[in-house]
Amino acid sequence: MSTLAIVVTLGSIVLAALLALLMIPVLVWLERRVAGLIQDRLGPNRTNVGGFRLGGVVQSFADVVKLVFKEEYYPSHIKSGKLLFTLAPTIMFVSALLAFMTIPFADNVNIAGESFRVQALPVDYGVLWFMAISSIGVIGILFGGWLSHNKYSLLGAQRAGSQLLGFELPLGLSVIAMVITYESVDFNVMVDYQSGVLFGFLPAWGVLIQPLAALIFIITMFAETNRAPFNVVEGESEIIAGHMTEFSAMKFAMYFMGEYIAMNTASAVIITMFFGGYQLPWLSTQDLFSNFSSVVVAIMVVMPIVIFFLIKWMKKNNSVRATLSSDGGRAFETKVLTIVLISMTALIELICLYLFTQSSDSLSATITITLLQIAIFVFKLMVFNIFFIIVRWTLPRFRYDQIQTLGWNYLLPLSLANIIITAIVVVGVN
Amino acid sequence: MNKKIKTIQRHGKTFKDRIYIPAIIEGLKTTIKHLAHNVSDINSVDVLEYPEEQPTDITERYRGLHRLTHREDGTISCVACFMCATACPSACIFIEATQREDGVDEKMPQKFSIDTLECIFCGYCVEACPCDAIRMDTGIFSLIGREREDFLLDKEKLLSFKGAFAQEDSIARK
Repeated sequence: MSTLAIVVTLGSIVLAALLALLMIPVLVWLERRVAGLIQDRLGPNRTNVGGFRLGGVVQSFADVVKLVFKEEYYPSHIKSGKLLFTLAPTIMFVSALLAFMTIPFADNVNIAGESFRVQALPVDYGVLWFMAISSIGVIGILFGGWLSHNKYSLLGAQRAGSQLLGFELPLGLSVIAMVITYESVDFNVMVDYQSGVLFGFLPAWGVLIQPLAALIFIITMFAETNRAPFNVVEGESEIIAGHMTEFSAMKFAMYFMGEYIAMNTASAVIITMFFGGYQLPWLSTQDLFSNFSSVVVAIMVVMPIVIFFLIKWMKKNNSVRATLSSDGGRAFETKVLTIVLISMTALIELICLYLFTQSSDSLSATITITLLQIAIFVFKLMVFNIFFIIVRWTLPRFRYDQIQTLGWNYLLPLSLANIIITAIVVVGVN
Repeated sequence: MNKKIKTIQRHGKTFKDRIYIPAIIEGLKTTIKHLAHNVSDINSVDVLEYPEEQPTDITERYRGLHRLTHREDGTISCVACFMCATACPSACIFIEATQREDGVDEKMPQKFSIDTLECIFCGYCVEACPCDAIRMDTGIFSLIGREREDFLLDKEKLLSFKGAFAQEDSIARK
């Protein structure tokens, strides 16, 4: 194994870990902030370090500090299975984290005649890995609920188990339809397929080729991650907090964080399979390379415009009403962030100027396009995470039997029919 | 029998209703509209920026922190009749009576203290008082202390609070 391979692999692993773990505090904050704004409230916006509040995202770090220093409480009625009781949240957390590891963040990098995958786990059976690992998470919920020796916890765990059974089938069947379409179980090949053009003018995204499979997949992903409207597992009006009732401090936080990683993973898989992954619509990686100088010029033009509007928005919104005597250091924060953003833009413009002189087969071109694709991936990931959050604050929770009816009576036949139609079309076209 | 019968149309049975998706999109439209509006102008969110902004809508009927009223000559109007302590459902009023020497009245409290940690702010003491000596019209809604003792308000403290509205003195004992 060459040094280059080690560098690219390590880079991918670090990127995957950062994208999964650093996303948790951002998502927890986003959840509360978006919920607030949807309901015409403000949400957490006061916690700050030296006047820097970054819209309130510092709150999540304060929450983590609080949870770490909280008392670890073990219910005294739990006599047997203490080890598994403690381990249960970790099983869920780890499985959600591992499922994220086969997502490609950029197209295969070709350096010095070698091709490297930009995946933390460079395998070509990503879909199978995801299907296998993401289902293990429910074992953590089952252990936690069962070993709590609490009726509410047990009910929550049973609901999680039966919900998984009901929705894993349509999930797997809709994935099979996609596998037939893409003729591969490799996430990267799927994204490559989606960089083409459909009917001459539409981007060949999975959602446009297979709208029904996309709908079924997104619905089952909501159920799989126990997000609203399918969060009967922790339906607080009926069973307190379900499997999390007896957990406290960091054990509870593990469940909590595992849920957000699962949501992040779900978003990543949805965009990889149905929304073109790391690709811009209409443009494949080859197009980006062959028009490298135009890509650089586009970055040089788009970047200042985006930053200009961002600064304008920040100046307007990182403030308080004029009737208030003190703004709590928001004006100073805006000033510093404006300087940072402008100097960052200037630096990127300078780098782009240098890149403009480079040929499209140089190392710097490869790195630029890889970074661009990673940025697009993160952008799409954030959009889908926000979609998950908005749906949670829009729809009321389904009743338990309604969920089972939806899974078994509607989604399962639909996904079966979808497979048959897909197979007929694929065979007919070939 | 000439009753008017209004037939209410039942929803949820049509195909459009049963596939949920149009309804979900309608709901998403509403929430996204609120989100987009508030993100584009955060100061349009109508909230009270407490503690920088203080509430201005406290009315005369608001039951704030208690106070003991004065007579017109500035002395305490309480006659230590124990009516408030008897009416108190959480038994948080502690009174010790003494002889009043200045000829204005016969009795006055030596000690009068309210444990605000026990108090449920029901206002029964105000209703029970025959002398209009105790009131809850200070408009104070937050009491801050570092120790439990800080929340035990004594006679001097209760006399020092000013009423937030008109009628400063007792109207029953001039």
